[in-house]
Amino acid sequence: MHYLTAHMSAPKKKAARAPKKKALVPRPAFDPEQRVVAITGAYSFIGAELIKRLERDRRFYKVLAVDVRKPTFPMNKTQFHKVDLTLPTADAELAAIWRREGVDTVVHAAYLSSPTHATSWAHELESIGTMHVLNACAECQVRKLVVWSQTVVYGAHPLNPNFLVEEHELRGDKSKSRFVRDKVEAERQVRRFRHENPDSIVTVLRTAATLGPTIRNFATRFFSRAMAPTLMGYDPLMQFVHERDVVDAFVLAVTGDHPGDFNIVGDGVLPYSTILAMMGKLPLPMPHFLAFPLSQALWATQVFDSPPNFLDFLRFLCVADGDKARRVMGFQPRYDVKAIIEDFLGLPAKVESASGLDAAEVVEGGV
Amino acid sequence: MAGKQILGDDPFGTGANPNEAPPPAPPASLRKEEPENAGATAAEPAAEIPPARKARGAGAPRPKPTPEIATPTEYGPSIDHPPAAQHTGLVDEVKQLERSVRDRILPAHAGEHSGERQRMPLEMVWKRWRALAMRDRSDVVDEFGRDPQVASRIEPLLEFLYKSYFRVSARGMGHIPDDGRALIVANHSGTLPYDGAMIMHAVKHEHSAARDVRPLVEDFVFHFPYLGTLMNRIGGVRACPENAERLLEQDQLVAVFPEGIKGIGKLYRERYQLQRFGRGGFIKLALKCDAPIIPTAVVGAEEIHPMLTKITWLAKSVGIPYLPITPTFPALGPIGLLPLPTKWFIAFGEPLYYNAEYGAEGAGDRILVNKLAEQVRNRIQSMIDDLLRTRKSVLFG
Repeated sequence: MHYLTAHMSAPKKKAARAPKKKALVPRPAFDPEQRVVAITGAYSFIGAELIKRLERDRRFYKVLAVDVRKPTFPMNKTQFHKVDLTLPTADAELAAIWRREGVDTVVHAAYLSSPTHATSWAHELESIGTMHVLNACAECQVRKLVVWSQTVVYGAHPLNPNFLVEEHELRGDKSKSRFVRDKVEAERQVRRFRHENPDSIVTVLRTAATLGPTIRNFATRFFSRAMAPTLMGYDPLMQFVHERDVVDAFVLAVTGDHPGDFNIVGDGVLPYSTILAMMGKLPLPMPHFLAFPLSQALWATQVFDSPPNFLDFLRFLCVADGDKARRVMGFQPRYDVKAIIEDFLGLPAKVESASGLDAAEVVEGGV
Repeated sequence: MAGKQILGDDPFGTGANPNEAPPPAPPASLRKEEPENAGATAAEPAAEIPPARKARGAGAPRPKPTPEIATPTEYGPSIDHPPAAQHTGLVDEVKQLERSVRDRILPAHAGEHSGERQRMPLEMVWKRWRALAMRDRSDVVDEFGRDPQVASRIEPLLEFLYKSYFRVSARGMGHIPDDGRALIVANHSGTLPYDGAMIMHAVKHEHSAARDVRPLVEDFVFHFPYLGTLMNRIGGVRACPENAERLLEQDQLVAVFPEGIKGIGKLYRERYQLQRFGRGGFIKLALKCDAPIIPTAVVGAEEIHPMLTKITWLAKSVGIPYLPITPTFPALGPIGLLPLPTKWFIAFGEPLYYNAEYGAEGAGDRILVNKLAEQVRNRIQSMIDDLLRTRKSVLFG
């Protein structure tokens, strides 16, 4: 029986067991119609949503979900592999699985979406975890690697131009926040990997602060409170990206080949004070020379979940230019900043209907 | 029964993790019923979704609360938390209890529905507050942060300064093109950037095409509390090559003050003596973007704050470059910050088309760039000298 039909018709349990028989079969040649995608951080928002989209896409033969927790939605062609990226042998484990399954695309999304007080664990996951994933990718000669990063890696700096392009220096590593520094470290490793493996297609997607009705991260938590701190006299411009647009961007990066770094941001910017006003928050103005020590104390005592240098983002610009993603990837965000905020609040949002990318088109594309 | 159990254990509907339910059966069997549990919890939040969210248009198809596609509650920020170690028995139970308590306390988890659910009773108050907060700001700003409503609110003040206070007389308005990019290069002075605001106002109100000028603001002013924000809302942009290029590519009218901070901090006895024109960045910009340079002289602005001396050692500790000493400033307190009502002249000179002469590659020639910067500086200096020669009085023109 043709192995594809066998897989499609067989119940889930059997499908999961079937590939184990061909453990010693060498990796098949790349076939654009029979692709196997591995996703790390499968339990996270991006991982889970991407799996759901790839599940519906017939161009992909199999999806390997890697995380420490199994995603809770029903999956047909997705195999779950429990691998803890913080363990020292994670790279060998990943390489063994990926080689066996013939993975051609790896999506590395096992990053934190909010800072944590467990900084050394976070470092193990983000920086060392990335090292493990890259080692495994190099070992298996993976054709494509898509890495999730965030625009915070540019850092909020007084010398930032209004729109940061992808080639801009990553100032985030100068910040005192482990959260940002680990992400910059991971990006540097990815850069080195790209240099050492010129045959691999390496895509880095840097997403802006992501808001949406279902995603839970630092930004949504910050904007769920009734009050929000402001630094007196400072009112930087901010940008967001909608959760659906983020998933669209990942689908684009997985289905097409777009080597390079891309800023994934929504259209438009708004001043911080206007964002708070639109959301109906009570601003809590503080002079910045008081706010920093106060926030340091609240972070150290674990009352607050944001490290003190996050106040820089309330003081200086950190807005990325999404033009390259539009030009090269054909990524067209549907939600502009106003629509994102309205959708986040649960108000009816006006969505771009004439967008370059139709989700249905991408999902069912050509099949 | 499984669904009821989960509801009782997890009133916020946070985690559909079946491991969190009190384990009456061995974990293996629990894992078996996982899909069922997921389905049961998935149906829960459907009833709790407020009508506003339910009634969203078909333009935004959203995961429906069917068992096949996950709803918000089915996944959480998993990797946000260190993975629980594989304990068994009592340790495991304590860990789960700890997690369930934390889930209720932390807004990240308790807040699954808090967006509207908890605000519902105060919806009216919230709406009134939003309307109040949005009263004098617009919900759409341009990409550099200019807020049309704030700008129109500041307009009367600028009008007063322009018409009655400084009695600005602008000439050479015809040298500014009706459309297309151009770079206005002017002398800088006056401790606070009044000159930029007056040039903006002049072009907006006296030019036939009523164009918007985007002045480039140096870092010190741009990051000065309140002042920088205000400058940004009415059209100022932080001075850096990337921003200037982007503005010129959009065919906007950009005003630069190449003297920068040295110009603002001129002493009274140095008035109308142009300082070094930076490193010639504006020439590079004009060559690269093919923008004509419009040399502009502002006379009158250099006397509004007659600075006798400046103290730097004290100011550095406060975070400003210098503390100005004028006949009125520290002596009269804040009243001393009022500018003198001098009579102003703004003259726009003939555009200089350097790009046509040297091409875009000229931007890489540093000697040429410096030479051209010096040329523009001399041009503006001579325009200033002309205006000063015909001026009879500082206050009355």
